[in-house]
Amino acid sequence: MIVGGPSRAGAVTDKRPWTFYALGTLFAAYMAFLYGPMLVIYLLSFQGENGGVTFPMVGTSLTWFSDIVKPGQMANIPVSFSRSIGLASLVSVLTVVFSVAAGLGFRRRFPGSGIVFYLAVASLVMPSLLVGFGIGLGFQFLGWETSLFTSALGAQLTWTLPFGLFAMFAVVNRFNRSWEEAAADLGASAFQRLRHVTLPILLPGILGVAMGAFTLSYDEYARTTLTIGQHNTLPLEIYALISSATSPTLFAIGTLTTGGSFVAIGVTLVLVVRMQRRRTAASLKVG
Amino acid sequence: MSSTTSLGQLEVPVNRKRLAIPHFRFPTWAVSWLQVGPLMLILSVLFALPTILFLVVSFFDYDRIGIYPAFILDNYHDLLTTPSTWRVYLSSLKFAVIVWGITLFLGFNIAYFLVFHIRSNMLRTVLFLACAIPFWTSGIIRAIAWIPFLGRNGAFNQILMALGVTSRPLEFLLFSDFAVIVTYVHLFTLLMIGPIANSLAKIDRSLIEAALDAGASRWATMTNVIVPLSKTGIALGSLLVFTQVMGDYFVVKTMSGGQSASIVSMLSTEITAMQYPPASANAMVLVVFVAIMVACMMRVVDVRKELVK
Amino acid sequence: MDNRFDVELIAVSKRYGTALAVDDISLRIPAASYCCLLGPSGCGKTTTLRMIAGHEAISSGDILIRGQNVSDLPPITRGTAMMFQSYALFPHLSCLDNVAFSLKMRGVGKAERHAKAREFLGLVQMTDFAQRLPAQLSGGQQQRVALARALIMRPKVLLLDEPLSALDPFLRIKVREELKRLQRELGITFIHVTHSQDEAMAMADIMVVMQDGHIRQAGSPREVFERPVSPFIARFIGSHNVLNGPDGTIAVRADRCRLGTPGDGPFVTGRVTAVEYQGAMVRVAMATDPGSEAAALVPDHEFYAKPVAPGDPATLIWAARDAHIMPDY
Repeated sequence: MIVGGPSRAGAVTDKRPWTFYALGTLFAAYMAFLYGPMLVIYLLSFQGENGGVTFPMVGTSLTWFSDIVKPGQMANIPVSFSRSIGLASLVSVLTVVFSVAAGLGFRRRFPGSGIVFYLAVASLVMPSLLVGFGIGLGFQFLGWETSLFTSALGAQLTWTLPFGLFAMFAVVNRFNRSWEEAAADLGASAFQRLRHVTLPILLPGILGVAMGAFTLSYDEYARTTLTIGQHNTLPLEIYALISSATSPTLFAIGTLTTGGSFVAIGVTLVLVVRMQRRRTAASLKVG
Repeated sequence: MSSTTSLGQLEVPVNRKRLAIPHFRFPTWAVSWLQVGPLMLILSVLFALPTILFLVVSFFDYDRIGIYPAFILDNYHDLLTTPSTWRVYLSSLKFAVIVWGITLFLGFNIAYFLVFHIRSNMLRTVLFLACAIPFWTSGIIRAIAWIPFLGRNGAFNQILMALGVTSRPLEFLLFSDFAVIVTYVHLFTLLMIGPIANSLAKIDRSLIEAALDAGASRWATMTNVIVPLSKTGIALGSLLVFTQVMGDYFVVKTMSGGQSASIVSMLSTEITAMQYPPASANAMVLVVFVAIMVACMMRVVDVRKELVK
Repeated sequence: MDNRFDVELIAVSKRYGTALAVDDISLRIPAASYCCLLGPSGCGKTTTLRMIAGHEAISSGDILIRGQNVSDLPPITRGTAMMFQSYALFPHLSCLDNVAFSLKMRGVGKAERHAKAREFLGLVQMTDFAQRLPAQLSGGQQQRVALARALIMRPKVLLLDEPLSALDPFLRIKVREELKRLQRELGITFIHVTHSQDEAMAMADIMVVMQDGHIRQAGSPREVFERPVSPFIARFIGSHNVLNGPDGTIAVRADRCRLGTPGDGPFVTGRVTAVEYQGAMVRVAMATDPGSEAAALVPDHEFYAKPVAPGDPATLIWAARDAHIMPDY
């Protein structure tokens, strides 16, 4: 660990080297860069009734927040929001099941594993709109209607499954085979091993994948847009809003969704951290 | 107790009983395929097949009314001989390279800072999360956040003028190449930080101490030990950033104010016009490009070995 | 059925591709004995243990446990229990649940299995830690829980994979005594893999020395120490000098050698290379004139009566009857 480093004279000290301050400053600048625009959004969502989408602020109000739930707008936020949630939940569940299974399968070398791996990589890096286009085209050729829970679901899975798979690689690598062998030694059948040992131990990682898949789906835009059919999810509604209307309602939505993300991620994190801490505590060992 | 045993001169007892029931063991490769099956199925049907569909349709004929199955190279010909195609590709490439350079610099330094300079695990996790949390807000919202920030009346200009740096608002900040690049960096730096931090964390610290022991300066250690060992992270991050920029649709459209186009927005125009064959040809070209990128990255580092270990 | 032996290995081999990790070994371990598998890294001792446990498939040969052929059976039906080198305690379960795990797999009710688990935690003096998670225990404590977890299955044979290597030297000696005592009380066979010859000699009723996938010698510790069959064994066991005698290669115990003047008995001349103070004894290492190495373990008062220093010429002497001849080498 580069805690201190050699000083000019060459001896190792515990004092911070100058690079610490330089990089620290860079990091602080990056944080400002990252959060600056976000703060603008949060501020502007409280824009006064007569204000526009840019500064200056004309007083403060909550009208834009209430605008979100007012029906009859160019966009229908609450409905598309619930669609987003529904789709994201389903995507999350499917991603977890399939990528956990696949992650376990990759623990041994099996013939054809290379193909699966590279297919996942390709699916990950392929520009999202292309994937959406391909699926939309396919559906059209087959004469099927694109819709939320068929084509859109499928399109989003091509994005979340590779992520889930690679996340599972990291999780499974930390899994000690001895636990499964010990379970076998103690009389657990294959199913019992999975249920009582493998899955519980992998649970924090699995939760992480679930949360990740959920947010990926929830924010997904490009793959969904050509495969969604008639009814929009939230990101698509937002995009429609951008093109058509220009009011701070948009920012209000942004603030709300960010807040929602914070809460959701925060809860998951607390759960995962608590689980990990109990299991891997480097607590004071005596005797 | 007579405890000695023989060393291979043991007579095999005649009455040992072998298990009567032959023991069937499910072959391990079959188990793996069963586990990988659903994922493979979904990716094949929803990704591989559509890609093949592109390929096929790209050779189709079309006119104002519809599309006709055929095998003609006209679409590719049109695509590759139109100057605007090359212009758009070059423009995207230009953005990609610039953004790649900036995110690499930022990403590496920040990852290095987090992994090597932060001592407390708790703080490192918190700071890493601080980098990652914005990622969870929709990309669209984050992109448009720059508009009020960089606009003529935007926050940035106001700050600059308040500090007395300029007397008039800077015009070039918004709806320009600058705005596009800034937005890309804002959105994609995390894609560099993540994989690089992962690679850096795996480096055995005693290697660094051994280098110092052998008389290497901190800079020499960096170039001879740390950077080579973080090749995988750099390659992965680069791949992600490059493909995201090349495949972008939204940012260029919004932030350049119509001055630049992106490859994908070109595509979407054709799709809206129902001109599937040329759109497919366009898509295929992009696919080939991405495939070349991936192949290049694979040459640099064996991602499979690194990830699956 | 032969009741004299708890474990029998008959021409057992383990092949990984073209490499032979274990090469046609045969062994009979008497009932209720403490058996140590000893050897350098890569000799095949752990592989052998895992084949007995059923965690590694046998390439050829048979393994019998109390007369029953278990070669094709899964671990649970063999009557063996294993204590893993890393202990492999389930991190998400309390000590109590860890110990009760095998009973839960068999469908035993919660109250009953918890009671039984507490009983076995008591056996290893860990009852106070029943509700703790493994991460909150020290290495020695984890090991005891792992032991309880294995013993609750009432195995016929307990298999231990380098159980003492992760412990500090003082704890090691204490645990050594406990394991030995436990084995006596339970009256079952323990098979213990180790790379430390001191450990094996202290604990084993039967010591099995392995090298390159073969069993080189198997016998009581006394037998192996006093009559090693090959130079490899003599050197591995330690405290032996391997020298050339008139009838072939011989092994002489270092503590039966002295530094002195050539008399009627055998001797070899050379130069002192090192002097190591070991408390009760002093080890004097020398390079012999014929070109090999030797050492004498001299009681401290004898050494300090006539001390030597590195560089001094010296003669190693011993009694002819103390030389053990290894005719085939």
